[in-house]
Order: sequence, then structure tokens, then C-alpha cells
Amino acid sequence: MSEPIAAGEARRLGQEERGDTLGARNTRFDPGDTVLVRVRRSEPAARSEFRVPYRKWMRVLDALNWIAENEAPDLGYRWFCGSKMCGTCAVRMNGREVLACWEAVEAEMTIEPLRNLPVVRDLVVDRGPFEDKVFSLEPWLERPALYPGFPEPLSHKDMKYASKALDCIGCMCCYSACPVIALGDLTDFAGPAPLVQLGQTALDPRNDPAKVARSLKRTGIFHCVSCYRCEEVCPAAIPIVTQVIEPLKAKTAALVPEMAKHSLALRAVVAARGRVDPTALVLRVRGLAVLRDWLRALRLLLRGKIDPLKTLFPRRTSAAAAAQRLLEGGRRR
Amino acid sequence: MQVETTDVVIVGGGAAGTYAALELHRRGIKSTIVCKGLVGKSGASIFAGNLVLSGRALGNSEEQARNTAEFLIKYHNQFLIDQHWARCCGQFIENVYYPELEEAGLYLRRDEKGNVVTSPGKIRSVAANVQGNSGVPFMDLRRKQVMKAGIRRLEETAVTALLRRPDGEVCGVFALDVMRGEFRVVLGRAVILATGYSDRLHARSTGTREMSGDGIAMAWRVGATLANLEMQWWHTNDMAEPPSWQRMQVYPNPMLGSEKSARMVNSVGEEFFNQQRDDPLAYGPYTVQLKALAKQVHAGKARYDGGYFAGFDNCNAAEVEAYTSYGKVFHQLGLDFPKDLVETAVTAHYRQGGIDVDTATMRSSVPGLYVAGGLGGHSNGLIGLATFDGRTVAEGVAADLANFKPAPLPETEVEREARRLDALRVSRGDGVPASAVNNAIRQMMWDKAGVEKDATSLRSALEEIAQIRLDLLPRMSVQRTAPAANYEWLDAIDAVNMVDACELIVLSSLERAESRGPFMRRDFPAQDNKDWLAANLMIRTDNGHRFERRPYDTPFFQPDFSVRDNLEVAW
Repeated sequence: MSEPIAAGEARRLGQEERGDTLGARNTRFDPGDTVLVRVRRSEPAARSEFRVPYRKWMRVLDALNWIAENEAPDLGYRWFCGSKMCGTCAVRMNGREVLACWEAVEAEMTIEPLRNLPVVRDLVVDRGPFEDKVFSLEPWLERPALYPGFPEPLSHKDMKYASKALDCIGCMCCYSACPVIALGDLTDFAGPAPLVQLGQTALDPRNDPAKVARSLKRTGIFHCVSCYRCEEVCPAAIPIVTQVIEPLKAKTAALVPEMAKHSLALRAVVAARGRVDPTALVLRVRGLAVLRDWLRALRLLLRGKIDPLKTLFPRRTSAAAAAQRLLEGGRRR
Repeated sequence: MQVETTDVVIVGGGAAGTYAALELHRRGIKSTIVCKGLVGKSGASIFAGNLVLSGRALGNSEEQARNTAEFLIKYHNQFLIDQHWARCCGQFIENVYYPELEEAGLYLRRDEKGNVVTSPGKIRSVAANVQGNSGVPFMDLRRKQVMKAGIRRLEETAVTALLRRPDGEVCGVFALDVMRGEFRVVLGRAVILATGYSDRLHARSTGTREMSGDGIAMAWRVGATLANLEMQWWHTNDMAEPPSWQRMQVYPNPMLGSEKSARMVNSVGEEFFNQQRDDPLAYGPYTVQLKALAKQVHAGKARYDGGYFAGFDNCNAAEVEAYTSYGKVFHQLGLDFPKDLVETAVTAHYRQGGIDVDTATMRSSVPGLYVAGGLGGHSNGLIGLATFDGRTVAEGVAADLANFKPAPLPETEVEREARRLDALRVSRGDGVPASAVNNAIRQMMWDKAGVEKDATSLRSALEEIAQIRLDLLPRMSVQRTAPAANYEWLDAIDAVNMVDACELIVLSSLERAESRGPFMRRDFPAQDNKDWLAANLMIRTDNGHRFERRPYDTPFFQPDFSVRDNLEVAW
């Protein structure tokens, strides 16, 4: 069995094998080299291909600046700080989300605007839908008790997860990379970046649990499929899945258990049986409503797809004991 | 064109602007923040690396409290500061600032046991979450406070002119919504300009993309008096390469939880700056560093644009990275941290000078116009000072507001400004791209009004500015004339402000006939406390301008000499 991905490691998977480490990315060019840049422009007639002279440690933003200053003054792209702080220059480069000011150039680059957001022009996206989502989650602190004065009792252990989320610069790389967000209105999933923004205060022990529950209800958090795409592209190196979304899911299960019905049922089924019994899972999640589907159940029964006897009278197996041990152990850890 | 009305128009969404808006909101006064970038995301405030503990905050000793005040007055401002204001500011930081921020949720970094982590030494500082990155969560908190309070924000909207009533009172702003390419007018009973400390007026500068000296240029156009515009601060060790990383600093400050910090070596490998040894107050050694570098440049062992190196090779990696973000640049380049050093260069950073204000109210010399934060020519940069300005200006405006009546739309001014902007959005055959004009201005300032200057270089700068006005500005051209998300157009609007702001800066630099701290004149190398312990005021007159000097009081700290070679003065 493969090891689970350690916090923050998703981004580095396979880099070594591909010879694509940070060291390699910064040393593969010589002075005098050129970088071929293709930019997806909004107006079809606009020039889109450029040869940019390489200079030491060149970033994607340097290439865009060179293009705007020398060959395409009308290029639309957003940036403010050039220092991985403002989070406004994110684009897609060769199919992956990068912060233009932070990412080393590649010999041939196709630069496109972020996905999952309306494009204003060229590489400039409308941040509005993202900002609205963040605002709708009320990502702030509401204290259940009076503030005791500076400095208040608080340790870094208490802030372990919130502190990671506080590295977020709101660049929306993860929002663009998220396959669930790409489904559009099919789900009510808030998306990784809004969840990280929420995590800054929702994972802060100083926040009122009632307030946190209110926010979590609007997240659709269990639509997250833990695919790690967000974590892979995060320029701030936030372990988004393991240290923000997973703790938020746990918090949701504790504070708003009805949202976590499916996850909690799955866990209970596995703990009891040592395997996923789909019938038991459906029964637990849907309850008596399942009777409305009796015709379908009959069909499944006839085809041997379900075994009600097994489901109703489970045998105590060693797998169940092992699952219980693992899950309980997980809880203790 | 949309016209809207509020009580107070705030131009700028950094530490001063957002806090002013929140304080006005607390007093039931409506405001609208008009921000050229994004509130809490652009501008200088996000660059705050750490937060200084002033007064007796967090168990500061009497000596540490005194050191902090001395540091602010001497090392940060070279005595060009209202010491009474500085005292009030210190009290605010001690008693109001930290509790307010923490109550609102700012995470001041703790260790596992729950102690707030501080840097050691004669002056202590703390960090919001991570040292080197404190401005990001700090300003993100402000952004969310503004959202929560329902304060109106107009973002990516560049204010291009201050509007005045017939009696001369400032009563609103004219702006361009950059994304939509539409004009907007926001009328208010008063306007607070809070466009920030730093500009992008030099070939290398920490000012973010949008910072083109707009505040200086617009305030001057309505007749505001300027102060100490020549007092420019510099970062000494920012990344020499790549260009977009010119704001990325190899921080020289004392580190949280460590006794050590970065060091600097010259082109032949000799160490010439080590904060432990060279910085007498062991805090924020920027001016001390710059003077050490100037000596290396004079000896031919460094250049202002590179040829010297900085890094943490005297430190232990785990210690540096326990509470700071300082390793991020090295890691991203695939370098061996902390063994490898990187080439660094000088970058124009804060401007200490700006618009002259009454420090009790932040009133400028123009009725209806208030200035807060770095643009106010009364101190140098710390995010705490800008925040205090935000509160002071809110109090000042609140007290005066009853005197200002809502104004009708100043139609003539509005039409004139719309025509001026439209004329900048044209395509010409013999055109020069606006970005090329802006780069020419920045190179001119770097070459002729850079770290070291003299009357000859400054006069040459004035000639070049005149040439740019005569030759380049009229030929500025955009390739694409559609108004929405047109950054070329914005560059052209910026160019006009940049030329005006640079001319004012160069004239002020010519006037100050001394060297002081980071202001270095080759032809006046001495610091002159006899004649120049004074604000260098630039006053608009009917046919141009005149200069005046206003001496500073020195009630708590005094320089202990009259005239001395600036490079031999520690601060």
C-alpha cells in the first residue's frame, strides 16, 4: 500500500523523477537564450506569439512585462506587488496554475487566464464571483466571550491549522485548478480558496462555534473529492487538503453533523464491517426513503448485485476488527 | 459616467485608508474607499515584515520604550518629525493598536507554550503569523473588516483629479474605473488622500505597479503645500535579479526567536554589514546599511544596482525559518539555504516627505483635503504609524465635517477632466507607448536623482523632465483604444502624474542644501543641524512655487552636533 501524501508534499510529486526540481527550473537557461511565449488573447487579431530574451532567474511576470514594454503594449494582465504578496498575477502556464511573479519561465510557454472565472480581457479575470463567495462565508471572528486584552491566552498549537490558512494570498490558483468548481452550479461547493479564507478564522479556537457552524453550512464542503489539485498548485505552499479542508470537514461533522451524513455513515459502515457495503450505506444515508426505490432494489436483487441477508446479518470478520482498530487509532491520533 | 455621493471620500485602501474608513464608520460617518488597486492587497502596507512594539507594550522595559522612540525619531526620520506626534503615536500603538488588532482576530505569532514571539534586543517586534509576511494577514483583516462593516469600495478605480467647489474647497474626486473603462465621480464633504508611502518613480523601487505618485501630483494641482519631498528612503538589499523581484528583500532586521540576522558582503567577499555589529540600535538598519554600502561604492567594491551580496550563511536554517519567510526566495531559486548568498541592489523605498499636514487633524493646506499615512509628509514608514494616521484623520474629519456642506456637481471641472483623459486614449502614427515614457522617467530619476546626487545631476534631471514634457508626453499613444481594462491608457494617465511628481521631488532635492540620513548630496556632504533641522516646505504660488523652512522642535531627543559629515553620522 502506498504511503499517504504528507502535508504539503503534493506539489513535489514526481518532480525529482522528471528532472523538474526548483533547482533545475532556475538553471536550464544560458544568457542569450530566448523564451517562446504564446498568450491566449481575447481579441483574435491580437498578436499572441513572442520571443523573449532570457535574463537571469526570469519569472513569468518578467516575460509578460517584457512583452508589454517591447512588443504588445496592449497586453492585458494584472499584477501589483511582484513579490508573492498581493496574489493578483495568477495565470495558467502550460496547463498549470502559477503565480506569474513567482514561477520560473519555461523554454516554451502557453499562458492563459485562470479557469472557472469570467475573463475581462486577455489574462485579466473578474475576481468578483470569488470575492462574493468569500464574503458570503463571513470569514471573520465573532467572539463568544469578551476579549481579555493583549496578549490573550493562545498558543501556536491552537492555531496550527489557522496559521497555515493565514499564508493564503487569495491568488485563486486553486480555484482555477479545482475540478469540482469546474462543474459550475452542479454543486454548491464553495471551492478551495474560499474554504482557505474561511479556515483562517473557522479553524481559530477564538471563534464562536455557532458562528463557525453558520459559515460552514454554506460551504458544500463534502463535495470536495480530496484530489489534491489545489494543494499541488498553491504558490503559498499551503497544505490545503490535509491541513485546511480536512480539519474543516472534521469541524463540520462535529458542528453540523447533518451535512456530514454520508461521510459519517461511510465511516460507521466500514468500522462495523471492515468493507464498504453499498446497501448498508444507502440504507443509513437515505433511511426509509429508500423504499420508494423498491423496483430498482428488486432489479439489483435479481441480478445478484445486492445481498440483503449479508447486509442485515453481517458476520463479525477480522477485517471489521482491523478497520475499527485503524479508525479508532485515527481518532486517538 | 456615474456620479455618487458619500460623506467622506477616501482615496487609497492601505493601512491608513482602511483604518480611517473603519473609524469613520464607528462614528456613524459614511465613506467610500476608492482604490487604484485592491483594498488591502495592493500598495505598500502588505510589505510590512513585522510590527514594532513601542512604549511599554508586551512587557517592554523603560529602556526599550525609550529606544523605540529614539529609533523612530533618529534612525527613521533623522529628526524631521513632530516629536509630540511621535509620542502620541507611541501611546496609541501601546494602548490601542495591538488590542484592537488582536480583538479583531489578528494572529500575533505565539510559540507552542503560548508566548508571543518577539525579536530580541534593544527594540522588539512581533509578527502577524510569519515575520516577513505580516502585512498580508494584517491587510487581509482590514479588507474583511471593511467588507463586514459594509463600507463601499470602488476597486481598480484610479482617482485622476480632486474636484473643488467654486470657493476652492475639495469636494470629491474624478476617477476611472479601469476594468469597465468608465468614468466615475464620487462627491463628499471632505476627501482623505491616503495613497501611500512609496512610488514607482525610480528604475528600481518597492512601489507596486499602480503607485505613480498620484497623491503628490493631484494634491499639488489643487494647491497643497508639500514637505520634505526629497527625503527618500532606500532598501539596500533587495534582489538584483530578476526585475520583478526588485521589491523582494533579504531582510536585515533582527529575527524573531534568534540572535542573528542577514549579513552583506561586497564584490570581493568582504563582509561590510552585519546588523549585530553595525547597527547601534539593532533594529531596522536601513539607513545604516545604505551608508555602509555608499562607502563600498566609493571604494569600487559594490554598485547601487548590484555587485554585492546578502544572505543568511551565518545563521542556522531551522532558526531562520522557525518564524520567518526569509528562506522563500532562496528555496524558490533552488539555492542552497542558508549557504548561498544572492546578489542584491538598492531599491527606492518609502518617501518620508509628502503633503504637509497639521499632525493633530491631518488637515492639508487646502480646505476639505486631508492626508493620512505615508503620503502625509510627517514621518517615515511603519504600518503602525499609518494606522495611527488613519485614526487621527478620522477624528480630524469628524470634527470638521459640520463645516463642509455637500457640493453640487462641479460640472466644468468634471467635463475638463473627462476631456483630458479621453485625449490620452488615442492612437498616433508617430506614437510612443506610455510604458516607454514611464520607463524613461524612472531611468532618469535613477540616474540623476538616485541615492547620491548633486546640483549638476539634479539640474540635468530638470532639463530631461522638460524634454519629456515637450517631446514625449504629447506623442504618447495607445495601440488599443477600447476603454475597458486598458492598461496602456492607465500608463498614459500615470505618466502625466509621474512627470509632475518627479519635478517636485527634484526641485525639493535641489533646495535641501545638505545631506541627511538617506538623502545624500555629493555637493553638500555634511548634515547641517544649524540650518536644516527644518521642514523643506514647497508652497504653490500664482506663478510657480516658493520654498520655506519650518524648524522642528526637539523636545525629547536632540542631535548632539551642529554640522558633521553625513557618512560619519550613525543615522
